[in-house]
Amino acid sequence: MKDEWDVIVVGGGHAGIEAALAARRKGCSVVLISAKRNRIGEMSCNPAIGGIAKGTIVREIDALDGSMARTADATRLHFRMLNRSKGPAVWGPRVQSDAAEYASAQQSYIGNRGVEILEDEVTGLEGLTEKVKGVRCRGRGCVKGKAVVLATGTFLKGMLYRGDEKWKGGRIGDISADLLEKDIVKRMFHVERFKTGTPSRIVRKTVNTEELEVQTSEKTNFNFSYEKQMICEKEVVCYITYTNRKTMEIAKENLHLSPLMAGRIEGTGPRYCPSYEDKVVKFPERISHKIYVEPMGYRSRYFYLNGLSSSLPREAQEKMVRSLQGFGKAEIADYGYAVEYSYFHYTEIDDTLRLRRSENVFVAGQICGTSGYEEAAGLGLVAGANAGRVAKCLEPLSLSRMNSYIGVMIDDIVSKGADEPYRMFSSRAENRLHLRQDNADRRLYLTGDRFDIMSDEKKELLTGNMKEAERIKYILENETVDGVRLSKWCRRPEMSVGKIITVSDALVDSEEKILMSVLLDEKYSGYIERNLRKNESRRNLEKISLREINSYMEIDEICWEAREVLERERPETLARAERIPGIRPTDLQGLLIYLGRKRSTWNNSRAGEM
Amino acid sequence: MNSISPEIICAVATPEGTSALSIIRVSGKGSFGLLENIMSLEKNRLRGMRRKVGRISEKGRTVDEVVAVSWPEGKSFTGEEMVEIICHGIPQATRTIMEMLIRQGARRAEPGEFARRALGNGKMNAVQIITLAALWDTEKSKKVFNGETEESCMKLLNKIETAREIVEGNIEFDEIHLDGDGKHIRSVFCELMARAKDFRRKAASIEKSCRVMIMGPTNSGKSTLFNVLTGKQGALVSDEPGTTRDGSTCFMEVRGRRIQICDTAGSNGIGLDRKASEAVIRGLDEKDRVIWMSVGGRIPPADEVKKRVGEVIEIAAKSDLKDEMEMKQILNISSVSGEGLENLRDIISRVPGSMSLSGAAERIEESIKKSYKFISSQEYDLAAEHINEAEIEARRIIGKGENIHLSVERALNSMCVGK
Ligand SMILES: Cc1cc2nc3c(=O)[nH]c(=O)nc-3n(C[C@H](O)[C@H](O)[C@H](O)COP(=O)(O)OP(=O)(O)OC[C@H]3O[C@@H](n4cnc5c(N)ncnc54)[C@H](O)[C@@H]3O)c2cc1C
Repeated sequence: MKDEWDVIVVGGGHAGIEAALAARRKGCSVVLISAKRNRIGEMSCNPAIGGIAKGTIVREIDALDGSMARTADATRLHFRMLNRSKGPAVWGPRVQSDAAEYASAQQSYIGNRGVEILEDEVTGLEGLTEKVKGVRCRGRGCVKGKAVVLATGTFLKGMLYRGDEKWKGGRIGDISADLLEKDIVKRMFHVERFKTGTPSRIVRKTVNTEELEVQTSEKTNFNFSYEKQMICEKEVVCYITYTNRKTMEIAKENLHLSPLMAGRIEGTGPRYCPSYEDKVVKFPERISHKIYVEPMGYRSRYFYLNGLSSSLPREAQEKMVRSLQGFGKAEIADYGYAVEYSYFHYTEIDDTLRLRRSENVFVAGQICGTSGYEEAAGLGLVAGANAGRVAKCLEPLSLSRMNSYIGVMIDDIVSKGADEPYRMFSSRAENRLHLRQDNADRRLYLTGDRFDIMSDEKKELLTGNMKEAERIKYILENETVDGVRLSKWCRRPEMSVGKIITVSDALVDSEEKILMSVLLDEKYSGYIERNLRKNESRRNLEKISLREINSYMEIDEICWEAREVLERERPETLARAERIPGIRPTDLQGLLIYLGRKRSTWNNSRAGEM
Repeated sequence: MNSISPEIICAVATPEGTSALSIIRVSGKGSFGLLENIMSLEKNRLRGMRRKVGRISEKGRTVDEVVAVSWPEGKSFTGEEMVEIICHGIPQATRTIMEMLIRQGARRAEPGEFARRALGNGKMNAVQIITLAALWDTEKSKKVFNGETEESCMKLLNKIETAREIVEGNIEFDEIHLDGDGKHIRSVFCELMARAKDFRRKAASIEKSCRVMIMGPTNSGKSTLFNVLTGKQGALVSDEPGTTRDGSTCFMEVRGRRIQICDTAGSNGIGLDRKASEAVIRGLDEKDRVIWMSVGGRIPPADEVKKRVGEVIEIAAKSDLKDEMEMKQILNISSVSGEGLENLRDIISRVPGSMSLSGAAERIEESIKKSYKFISSQEYDLAAEHINEAEIEARRIIGKGENIHLSVERALNSMCVGK
């Protein structure tokens, strides 16, 4: 084993994997330390990848040469393009993968790429926080590294709950990273608690699927990855069932046993992923909720019950499950539970995902306060790339909000945090019409190239895509049909690839997916330009420094609450001030007026210019 | 996405229905061509610094006879190619011309956009512009509104938020666990459109009624002040037929807000002058503001004036008589040196009634309509874009800020989603 690694990645979840690979692509020696080797790449919850906005993140990861897209394609059993009737800018590709195969494919992938894997528990950082020397492990002791990525997911002081059962763990059957958490707290990092939950897994053969609605996979030539590769040929069907009055009553009768309701869990859970008992409390008038029944794998013996997350006691869960149509004799293999864990407060993290107080420790994944595989992977890729860059003494990479969901996510997390686990929504992106799943390759090409994130093969492929898009654009700009320029023509609502090919011969042998993507660029270009312009004016706020303000308490132009908040936070620029919760736009305007006045009294001689 | 060349923007620069004349301002590369087009002029007739009389017709029917004044790039207020269309102040005509401009590819200006472009082209300094925008935003919520209009806007915003939650919810959660069906959306939008109309009407009605009158004894320098304040625009307007003789009226932009300024004849005159000034005083009401101007601030405003109007701003002209002035707390103005003018502009800019409000109301209405259109064609991505615009605009008016990212999170409170 090596004496010192360039990059140490702690945690073999979705974040850790992308982090390790990204650092590796930078030419770093990388070790991935994870508590259980065979659980690396495990899907702790849903056996699905993608969705609205999330699917686009997966494509962005692929554009930056990560592994999630490829592995999802290779292990997919079911595909749906969500939002097909809502406009192409918000299409969300989603696959269901074979959970077990997904994990093992990821494991061999990182192995093949030369990431060293160590099975051990990390119990703390080694050395001074400002610049750590590496990490401490339970078995091996100190492992030295130039940079560290923490990607420990839900494991930091992880606590699992079900009814009145309560035990330590980051997920069922796994360790809880208590010692690591202790070390982090001892180093005076600000951590907080979140919670999330998972539904039960049902023994497949005990379900009578004849009684269920069937949801088949869409036939498609869609690939998450831009690479042309084999798609898994296997396919499964999913099922749909509904909760009913009886399910609701069982939940109600057992509410007092819920660890959340009983106040045993303090962490905040995500509103977009409520447990079934949450739903019953919040929407008492709704009797029936849709439940998706998803196989955990092709040969897997289990079903995942999407929509019936619960941390009620076993008996209650069993009764609830059996009240569902088709589940009368169902047996539960793993009961649902909730997990509560620590994460880093947003003020600790900078926009390269480095811990502000350390030169060489990065964080990624659920530990940053997010939730979801795709979010974790996106963050992992950036954290890993930056850890690699620190190890190689290169300037860090940061992504713009205007150009990628990953950029939006990082910007959101580090500038305002979240009061529930952060999940990507497309509406978080002000430039949503640009951040589409079809153009992730072209959006991120320049970044990938500049920061040298891609392998040579990937780069060649994407360069080809760029050139083809340029060629198509040129044709659109220069050809006309009935006196109308093609670029204008394709802004019409009824425009489609099929149609445009019939009007222009030059486009006939274009790469179809790229053609479609470029057409969408044209279709949305007016909006996108406007959004960029708006963003420019927002960036102007970035230029207005607030450093000259000595005391906010005397600024009459802003309200009292704002004065106190600003006095405490002391933002450097107006743009920063804008993001502080509790600062209203009128306060910003007030600050501007104040600054304007102040400057004009300073420059009395030039007051005439004003 | 390389260099972004600005679109052509247009806006009505005068309040609806108040004046005999209306000004529509058009700015951006291609403005000349656009105007030549809708006025059916020969090509290049507007190139350079020109003034052309012409007729705008639509489908063979005359909409209005207008004067177009053009400024080439670099010579205009915005620094861009720019045209002002002076048309008769008939709301219907003004609106039709705006619609024609928009159909030809222009876009309604956002608040302060002309000023922002001026900045971009180096025609104003940054702080100046920022202050402009700032004053507009903060003051507006407090002073432009009367209770009824504010309430109308609040209700509108409320509905917009609901609509936006539904649209965004529909996007984020696809088919999963979602309630609202097409019918629901339709009824929400119908109500929304009614509210937007209501607000637009109210906004237009308060704007009509606010004026700033420059009054005072003869020879105190009112007309000079008027000309200095209004600059080129004033001269332009008073040239045209339809302006009354007893005083000139001008709609000018002060600190990013449009305000109607009237010059009146002196009140200590005799004969014709006296009659005219009495008529002016009779016409005053509490929505008006009066700038009372006298040499050295020696003559106080007439009681009759004070009684009738909302506010009298006393100013002293000819500031060379300084010593005398120091005693009184009166704003000292010199139209020649420019002294005190900035303060005066500050004060004027806070007068209620700016064109920006009904402009904003119109933009909101337009955005809502577009959003609905896109819902009908199942393009939720674009529908969301427009309803978002409407929300931002309404928030700006009330002074509540953008709040762009939160709509889904808001929606989560009323929607049952997730695994
Ligand atoms: C019960 C449960 C419910 C969930 N529910 C949802 C949900 O509703 N919605 C949703 O979007 N997402 C949910 N998820 C979250 C989803 O699984 C995560 O967002 C995603 O897996 C996070 O990826 P990660 O890489 O950050 O961490 P993880 O996938 O959690 O991986 C962490 C890795 O770090 C390793 N590790 C941790 N500590 C140490 C240590 N000290 N030393 C060595 N190795 C260590 C672990 O062994 C593990 O391999 C849930 C997860 C769980 C466990």
